[in-house]
Amino acid sequence: MIKLVNISKVYPPDIKALHKVNLHIKPGEFVSIVGQSGTGKTTMIKLLIGEEKADSGKIVVGGWDITDIGPREIPVLRRQIGVVFQDFKLLQKKTIFENVCFALQVCGEPQSKILNIVPQVLKIVGLEKKMHRYPLQVSGGEQQRAVIARALVHRPKILLADEPTGNLDSINADEIIEILQKINKFGTTVLLVTHNREVVNKLKKRVVTIENGLVVGDQAVGKYML
Amino acid sequence: MFLLSFFRVIKFSLQDMARNVWLSLITVIIIVLALFSVNLLLAVKVLSSATVSAVKEKIDVTLYIKNDAPESRIIALKSQLTNLDSVKQIDYISKQAALPIFQEKNQNKPEILQALLELGKNPLSPSLILKPKDIDNYDSLIASLNKIDNDIIESKNFDDYKNMLAKINSITGKANEAGLFVSSLFVLITILVVYNAVRVAIYTHRREIGIMKLVGASTWFIRAPYLVSAMIYALIGVVAIIVLLYPFLSLIQPYLATFFSGFEVDLVGYFKSNFLLIFGLEFLAATLVNVLASLVAVGKYSKV
Repeated sequence: MIKLVNISKVYPPDIKALHKVNLHIKPGEFVSIVGQSGTGKTTMIKLLIGEEKADSGKIVVGGWDITDIGPREIPVLRRQIGVVFQDFKLLQKKTIFENVCFALQVCGEPQSKILNIVPQVLKIVGLEKKMHRYPLQVSGGEQQRAVIARALVHRPKILLADEPTGNLDSINADEIIEILQKINKFGTTVLLVTHNREVVNKLKKRVVTIENGLVVGDQAVGKYML
Repeated sequence: MFLLSFFRVIKFSLQDMARNVWLSLITVIIIVLALFSVNLLLAVKVLSSATVSAVKEKIDVTLYIKNDAPESRIIALKSQLTNLDSVKQIDYISKQAALPIFQEKNQNKPEILQALLELGKNPLSPSLILKPKDIDNYDSLIASLNKIDNDIIESKNFDDYKNMLAKINSITGKANEAGLFVSSLFVLITILVVYNAVRVAIYTHRREIGIMKLVGASTWFIRAPYLVSAMIYALIGVVAIIVLLYPFLSLIQPYLATFFSGFEVDLVGYFKSNFLLIFGLEFLAATLVNVLASLVAVGKYSKV
């Protein structure tokens, strides 16, 4: 499902974010990428959504070689991947419902389909009663659930979650992880980037450890080692 | 698919304008102020042109006829002059008719009237007053007059007229040059102000533009609502300026009529008769500036 082959990325002047990283994630896997801040975890996510380009190596997502992806193809790639960010990235002037709808509207989905699917997805994340509120009118945990709903609404095969619990308290963080596990059970490949030890240890799933841009550990049922 | 996206773009644009009502209002106000200034400048230009034209219109050439010239010869000369291409109109002022005109002109100068009374007879000569067809062809009229050889003509010196006309033309030319410079400068400032206002409005949306990109929106899908908004802002601005300008012009028209008494100055009429040209061009220009600013700003913030 996701293949990183010898991926290296250097930011000017000479900050090595990733160095010859090799990673193969199979369909339906739940993989936690762990490591301290500044080790290259977020760079990996940016490479997978086409926000950054690798200096060398090869990236394949869902059978599509995106190593040299063009600007016109990036929107197409992003519509096939669900992304959840630490800072939510919700459109503040749109309601929760409209935020989730937006992900389908950009794909040109018909309104009838949108009106059918969006309430269902919002129900899955428990926001059916607050869907007409604006992001600032709900809690951080609820905003993150809205982001997950937006990421899921076009049924992506891959969900990338970059520190999704970073801005949340432990109760909300647990809820978000439960939702991610539920999504994974439906068959979606989940890539969770985190430095939350508690979350990783509870999951008992595959853990890839990154340190200074290098993959230093890859355990099938792992723990947060650093 | 295209139609669906098109309607969504319109919807997003209107939604965005309504939900950012203050930003929209400020953008429209800046456009209205800019257009108001441009129209004011246009009004000043119309006034100055009308004044110069009116002054030129008042320029005429007077041929003084000898006091003892028989009326029949004067009428014959008038007919001869009427045939000249460069002459628009000729008025014959007889010796008798010249007196009351002279008295009326000098009614506030008692010493002149007194001198006239003491003279005891009408000292004025009959005259022919010629109005040129086109003031810019004044020289050809003078040349034609100089060619006429008729002994009843008393004086044929037109140098004063030439000098006066040269002065008027020089003042008009300089005024036009200065007006063009000031107008260009003003229009440039206006364009920059509007351009910047739209860019600031989009700058506040930069985070949203980034999010749209991350969700998979194409550049066109992000840009289009801003372009539609830019056109709507321009349209609202032009409609607002039409609504504001006409009452304003109607309000100042009586004052202008008093100030420029004797000249025909009708600003409302001018704006009415050139409605499509003026406001159509203003709409096009405002749209162009807004769209350009939107394209630059969205392009800058959508590189994610």
